[in-house]
Amino acid sequence: MTIGTFILKNALRNKRRAGLTILSVAVSCALLVTLLTLERELTIPPESEAASLRVIVRNKVSLAQPLPAKQLATLDRIPGIVAVTPFTFFGGNFRDETVTSFAQFAVDPARFQGLMVEGRIAEGSYENFIKDRNSCLVGADTMKRYGLKLGDRMRFTGTFFPVNLDLKIAAVFAGTVDDRGVFFHHKLLDELLGDPGTVGTWYLRVASAEVANDVIARVNKAFENTAAEVRAETERAFQMSFISMLGNVKLLIGSISSVVVFTLLLVTVSTMSMAIRERFQELAILKTLGYRRRELFSFILAESFGLAVVGATIGIGGAWAFWTFTDLQKLTNGFLVYFEVTPRIIASGSVVAALLAIIAAIAPSIAVARMSVVQGLKTLD
Amino acid sequence: MSTANVVTIRHLSKIYRQGEINVTALNDISLDIRSGEFLALMGPSGSGKSTLLHIVAGIDRPTSGECQVQGVDVTQLNESELADWRNQNIGFVFQTFNLIPVLTAFENVELPLLLTRLRSGERRRLVNTALELVGLEDRARHLPRQLSGGQEQRVAIARALVTDPSLVVADEPTGNLDSNSAHDVLTILQVLRRSAGKTVIMVTHDPKAAAFGSRSIHLEKGELVNGEAGAGLDRSQPAMTP
Repeated sequence: MTIGTFILKNALRNKRRAGLTILSVAVSCALLVTLLTLERELTIPPESEAASLRVIVRNKVSLAQPLPAKQLATLDRIPGIVAVTPFTFFGGNFRDETVTSFAQFAVDPARFQGLMVEGRIAEGSYENFIKDRNSCLVGADTMKRYGLKLGDRMRFTGTFFPVNLDLKIAAVFAGTVDDRGVFFHHKLLDELLGDPGTVGTWYLRVASAEVANDVIARVNKAFENTAAEVRAETERAFQMSFISMLGNVKLLIGSISSVVVFTLLLVTVSTMSMAIRERFQELAILKTLGYRRRELFSFILAESFGLAVVGATIGIGGAWAFWTFTDLQKLTNGFLVYFEVTPRIIASGSVVAALLAIIAAIAPSIAVARMSVVQGLKTLD
Repeated sequence: MSTANVVTIRHLSKIYRQGEINVTALNDISLDIRSGEFLALMGPSGSGKSTLLHIVAGIDRPTSGECQVQGVDVTQLNESELADWRNQNIGFVFQTFNLIPVLTAFENVELPLLLTRLRSGERRRLVNTALELVGLEDRARHLPRQLSGGQEQRVAIARALVTDPSLVVADEPTGNLDSNSAHDVLTILQVLRRSAGKTVIMVTHDPKAAAFGSRSIHLEKGELVNGEAGAGLDRSQPAMTP
């Protein structure tokens, strides 16, 4: 027998309790990892390399305020901008849906091509999209989710705009961080709206990351003191402004995570305390045989650690496997595309489990250290 | 102090505090226990015999006085030193056997050896020898619940002997056993003293058990009743052999 065997036999002496403890640690760790991942996904949107080169220009007053279409000529002249397109959020509902989870944007197809550097055309041809004003470019995830094929029609009921769209799928794109969107001709939207001469935002690409800040400053300056002052910001900053609309997600998820961790702590401490309390006499015997406080503390810590590690491995591993191999779009009705359990999150979950194991071992260890052998044996005359 | 003394106790007192009341468990005890003795500590419940045994074995501390075991004043050792000292010098046998229920007989006996630097093969040899000595080599793989009370106590004796301590202390070792098993256990303790030269101190209130000892002393209310009763007595046979 080794010390390890001894610890293992002690840990598994009450198999049902050990199993339930491992299960509760596993479930709590899985929940914690899921919450941490959700927080990450909601507060740190996925970012591609090309995203750092893209800039969104919107009305300084509010995103809901349109911009004059004539601003395009000014933008075309600003050095550092290599591509620019009108970019208007349509916000329609697809088919009979009351909430459609993928966005539709009106763009200038010829100009938009210069912004989709990381994407590729998976089906159809971009030329067909450019040529046909009633056509659209659709993300591969949306095609798959709705079982669409090239040439199918996509009908959208306007919610922001008082018009409906009837678009023919001309091409499919893939390879971007979000392969869900639908893009169609801005000219079609203009025509349906009676040519208002406005756009929702401008979407532009800068020559390099180094000049991005300069370009943003130039764009903002170019429209200063005009009827439509603008606010230019990187794609990431723009996404973050959307996230702020969700409220303090971080605080909410943080609070729930704290409750999970606290509950996990109570479960582990309670289990370890019970396990040690019922073995008080045996621990006194070990002291009698010459085992010192530090050795008994090591036994308790190892037992606590073992239960936590097995539970954490099952829970964190299970969460990773579940979120990695599950069709998230289907599961969340398109709300989430990416739900990456990163090594950092796995490490965070593991550290929490390890700390819990240590904390759970402290109280019984102190009790055992304070216990006199005689008190433990309860053999006083 | 005689060099032949394994235990030398001088003016030993132990007072417990129970709320506002002081309870005197031992009162000014002085006692010598010679090497190779089988001493029976007798007395009624609450007389302080187990307390005395615990102090000699280094698992309890006196309020005052001196307790030297093999020349070491155990009252002066700290917690860690006492643990090491117990592992190397004392073998314990308890009334309730106190085996670890999830370990086999072999593993229970091996427990004290895990604290040594012995290799696994050497540990196995020592454990097998100890189990043979108590006649339980064929029960090595049995869990305590698969053994009878007498067998459990013999495993406990094997555990007490496996580190080859010079002093074996037994606290009512036959208290939970039937007469046949009690006889077996007492015989083993007697053999230990006679063949291996171990010093055995046994707490008991059973005169039949005490009769297996070479000497018996009586405690009452924390004091030796008639000095060292039967001092120097070294019977070669128990007075009452079943």
